[in-house]
Amino acid sequence: MVEEAKVGVFLSDCGGQIAKILDFEALTNFVKGVEGVALVAMGSEFWRGEGLKTILDAVKAKKINRVVVAETVPKISEVAIAKAVEEAGLNPHLVEVIDLKDHCAWPHRDTPKEATEKAKAMLLAAIEKVKLQEPIEKAEFPAVKSVLVIGGGLAGMQAAEDLADMGFQVFLVEKEPFLGGLAARAVRFFPTDDCAICIQSPTTDLKTVTQTSRKCVYRSGFSEIPNLKVLTNAKVVKVEGGPGNYHVVVERKPRYVDEAKCVACDLCTIVCPVEVPDEYNAKLTKRKAIYIDKPLVYPPAYAIDAKACKFRECAKCVAVCPTKAINLDQKPEQLTLNVGSIIVATGFREYDPSVIKEYHYDEYPDVITHLELARMLDAFGPTGGVPIRPSDGKPAKRIVFVQCVGSRDRRWNPYCSSICCMISLKHATMIKEAFPDADVTICYIDIRTTGREHEYYYEKAREMGVKFVKGRPSEIVHDPATNTLVVEVEDELLRRLLELEADLVVLATAMVPSEDAKELAQILGIELDQDGFFKEYNAKLRPTETKRRGIFICGGAVFPKDAPTASLHAHSAAVKAAKFLMNGKIVKDLKVAVVNQDYCGNCQFCPVTCPYGAITLEPKGDGHFAAKVSKLLCEGCGVCVGTCPVGAIELRHLKPSQMSAQIKALLSVNGTSKPLVLAFSCSECGHAAVDSSGMAMMNYPANVRVLRVPCTGVIQVQHILEAFKAGAQGVMVVGCKPDGCHYEVGSQKAKRKVEMAKALLKAYGIEPERLEMFNLIFIEGDKFAEAAKAMTERVEKLGFLQLA
Amino acid sequence: MKAYALFLGCTIPARQPHYELAARKALTKLGIELVDMEGTSCCAPPPIQSIDLETSLAIAAYNVCLAEEADLDILTLCTGCFESLTIANRLLKEKPELREKVNKILSNAGKEFKGTREVKHYLQVLVNDVGVERLKQSVVKPLSKLKVAAFSGCHLLRPSEILRFDDPERPRIFDTLIEALGAKSIPYKNKLRCCGGLLRGYADDVALAIARDKIVNAYNAGADCISTLCPFCFLTLDLGQMLIKTTYKEEYNMPIIHYAELLSLSLGVEPKELALDFHKIKIDKVLEKIV
Amino acid sequence: MAEEKPLDFAREITSKHGGETITRCYQCGTCASTCPVARTTERYNPRQIIRLALLGQRDEVLKGDAIWLCASCYNCQERCPQKVEIADVIYALRNIAIREGNIPAVYTEFANGLMNEGRLAPISKFVEKKRPEYGLPPLKPTGIEALKKILAATGFDKIMFKKEGASP
Repeated sequence: MVEEAKVGVFLSDCGGQIAKILDFEALTNFVKGVEGVALVAMGSEFWRGEGLKTILDAVKAKKINRVVVAETVPKISEVAIAKAVEEAGLNPHLVEVIDLKDHCAWPHRDTPKEATEKAKAMLLAAIEKVKLQEPIEKAEFPAVKSVLVIGGGLAGMQAAEDLADMGFQVFLVEKEPFLGGLAARAVRFFPTDDCAICIQSPTTDLKTVTQTSRKCVYRSGFSEIPNLKVLTNAKVVKVEGGPGNYHVVVERKPRYVDEAKCVACDLCTIVCPVEVPDEYNAKLTKRKAIYIDKPLVYPPAYAIDAKACKFRECAKCVAVCPTKAINLDQKPEQLTLNVGSIIVATGFREYDPSVIKEYHYDEYPDVITHLELARMLDAFGPTGGVPIRPSDGKPAKRIVFVQCVGSRDRRWNPYCSSICCMISLKHATMIKEAFPDADVTICYIDIRTTGREHEYYYEKAREMGVKFVKGRPSEIVHDPATNTLVVEVEDELLRRLLELEADLVVLATAMVPSEDAKELAQILGIELDQDGFFKEYNAKLRPTETKRRGIFICGGAVFPKDAPTASLHAHSAAVKAAKFLMNGKIVKDLKVAVVNQDYCGNCQFCPVTCPYGAITLEPKGDGHFAAKVSKLLCEGCGVCVGTCPVGAIELRHLKPSQMSAQIKALLSVNGTSKPLVLAFSCSECGHAAVDSSGMAMMNYPANVRVLRVPCTGVIQVQHILEAFKAGAQGVMVVGCKPDGCHYEVGSQKAKRKVEMAKALLKAYGIEPERLEMFNLIFIEGDKFAEAAKAMTERVEKLGFLQLA
Repeated sequence: MKAYALFLGCTIPARQPHYELAARKALTKLGIELVDMEGTSCCAPPPIQSIDLETSLAIAAYNVCLAEEADLDILTLCTGCFESLTIANRLLKEKPELREKVNKILSNAGKEFKGTREVKHYLQVLVNDVGVERLKQSVVKPLSKLKVAAFSGCHLLRPSEILRFDDPERPRIFDTLIEALGAKSIPYKNKLRCCGGLLRGYADDVALAIARDKIVNAYNAGADCISTLCPFCFLTLDLGQMLIKTTYKEEYNMPIIHYAELLSLSLGVEPKELALDFHKIKIDKVLEKIV
Repeated sequence: MAEEKPLDFAREITSKHGGETITRCYQCGTCASTCPVARTTERYNPRQIIRLALLGQRDEVLKGDAIWLCASCYNCQERCPQKVEIADVIYALRNIAIREGNIPAVYTEFANGLMNEGRLAPISKFVEKKRPEYGLPPLKPTGIEALKKILAATGFDKIMFKKEGASP
């Protein structure tokens, strides 16, 4: 029940500017005559200073309970006014601010009388809208100050450490028995060539002398941060709850070794009878069924490979362990973690180049990948730092690198994996450093060294005598007589076809998402992009965020990147998570959609359409289901409203009655000799284009009226028809670009509605050209003015539309 | 057994009746019925495609229409015909706009491409209709002493996206069929590389150099013969050896023999029934190993 | 070089059947490396042909010798990482070249064979006589009438005689 509205209308002439165009006296008189208006004031500014005081006094004196302000810079002023009004005791959503300057006075400055008539319509629309607005309260949702980080590589560890240092409880979940990810195997990072397992030291590290230290993970005290819990052999299997309050079910495979007891003495591996090829070391050596990865990252405890171990048939390790740390009966366990936010840092992996059959990776042992070479070049590794030929174990003297293997390739991964050029340069220079007489060649399409100091790295490689052939090899052939590989490639710069002999060929393979990415994305309800990487909501302006509030993504899981960038990304995600949770609660204005469950027919369109996954289906008890909108997840865009075929959903800040009232009001006064055109405009890019057309002093006629909606996705076909019935001779729908909608899918949905409406109009015998959709952005204000003029002309040509 | 519309193309009837003869005998022995097609034309292979691709597509489609009208799938011997007809058949089946365009042209000849039939190479028929096992069992004179350098030529395999005959990098079908006859299909350098045949007439020296590479590679790998599927390949490598002799002064005496001929021989057809005098390089060495 | 307009020639090629994908090329050289002809003679390099074409060197490409040296083995197309249909692009270039009167003699022969008899290679009398000797059925006549109608519909016959004064 809407209380009786007493609207205060405050007209700012923007320091006298627009009073020269708009007849403020006429506007004041007009407004005074509108039902429900209790107070009208004119002035030069109302959003601050004395002007604002006028509003607040009226509110405090209870003379008004609704506020309409025609003000300058409304995008700023509406925030200021709403805030002040709230402090004065009135619900801030009962305020409506319109722009008589950029939306009226400026663009129609050559026709002041017409502008004034349009201003009347604009004021009337604002008044009618706000009269029907009910107060919208805030709600508080719990925000558990705890974060789950999925993935224990560089990005995961950095993010976990940041948050733990800040006082949040952090759970770091890693699917392997050991932390470190790719970094542990890569040994060194370019362009500094320092250790890959170096991370920032936590501030809780008592032994650190400075606050800006970095340490190897194993001696950084990282694992000793009190509110950080590391769970290895662990995977996320289910997520329930919502932002601020997730319940995540994690499954842990048994390690069979108690981390609290193991002293890493190595006696168990000595007695273990089982040997398996060591995948960690590119199968160049074998390891036992009980093992630890070297170099050591974390935890310093051995682990048993359940696929290789003979368990009770053997159990030699159990007998020999001095601290009785081995428990062969350990079972998988499930735990539920209550966290407020989740950070995904699952990294990337090397693409398997076996599919590129012309390179024979699966057939020739001497064709290897970078990770495999890295293991050889690691002094701790299986070959003690010497590159060898896996086929016969001899040292490799002639080494050829092949770039872009499976990257920049439409057949496999069309993107550039970003870091492979630098990795090849790193490995090439490492080899030349240790073996100056090695014959090293890099075959490339382009050398990409775009980061800080990367170009110097390339220079260094050339100075060290690394050879470069510009050409992509077509095939790697094996000569059985000499057991040599031959790389067939065109040296484009020499214009010569070469056959390079090699002992070892290293493929710089593409970097692709972790094999669990798809499954995890489904569990979390977040999206993957076209290349299978986790998708950021907006990489430029909202990095690390996903369309699910509270779930952040960072590091190589978002796209292959080097260590400094991954680190940066991780810190960014940590900040976002901290920001989200720091108050211990999430406060939200409930400008949301609400479903009238009696009308809901369970068609299930809205849960699928909602870009934020905010709608679920709830059992109603009689065997039927009805849609329910989560107050926490709903962003108030209204796409569901536009989707619902029976109108069972409405926005609390734009009810159907408010929509109708505005449509009627905007079309109630013409004042020009031209036909009325109503433009539904989204409040993001669409409205920005209208703003900028005024700011840039474009000209368009005053018969064009703009109705602001949150997102064009809210528009239903009936709104368009209603506009025609209310007197619009033409209708425009102005929204964001299809791939740039601020609510993901809204403008694409709107396009469908416009098409359907056109078909209906045609069926009714009305020219479908009277309706048109425009996708504009802020800098296209000129296009909005053009569109407004063009629609007016078009509709004029079509003639007057008489609806019975 | 299934009946097929036999598409002979231009080169085989014009210059290599021994291929046709061997194929007819072998396939008939295996129970495949071959129906001669009426009113065919050239399939429009690369030389015609070089002049106009659209015309070539229309000509190829025209030939497929004839098979559609006879309600039979096409069986080709020449791999060039296989490529040309298969590409037309696939493209027109999968791209409605292209089909419309080509049908407009075909309407002038009173034909319409409907997309109801398939184009097969006889190797596919051997694998799918006869089956490798049955083939093995039908062999009466196993070629067990024969080391064969299998050379399918380019147009059986590529462009693989459209032809979809076999894995273009690691094809196995041809080798399997050779080994089904008891022979050994040996590895040799650049096995899948072109013979250069299509350059003959424009750049004979280049064509010859490429052909020579092929012969040398097979020779160095110890092959008893090179087995072909394409009449162009046959000509290039067989007649080519005469030119290699005069140009390079080298003699390799490498018998070039169509798979259909090996097939026929292994199925028990007598050499004298096979028009073997069409081979410029005598294949007596091969025949000795088959006895 | 100054007169050529790069984008025009590239556009001309992409609008022709077979040439649609030429602009994808990023000059990696895989095609040249895998090409059996390029490995045999310096007269031919498919990567170079595409480069010249994309740089607008129309005359050099269409009047030159290189485009006739492709053996249509399709190795390049098979291995191209950008899925440029290189062999088909070469066909498209040949198509354009022939339309402008640049046609090697051997192709004129092929065309004549096609237009007159519906066959690339004429059947020799010798071979035709031998057929019954081997037990081969007589050859069925070609569909030359239908073929002629198709060739007329596509303008094939006119393509061949762009040159002034040439007669069928």
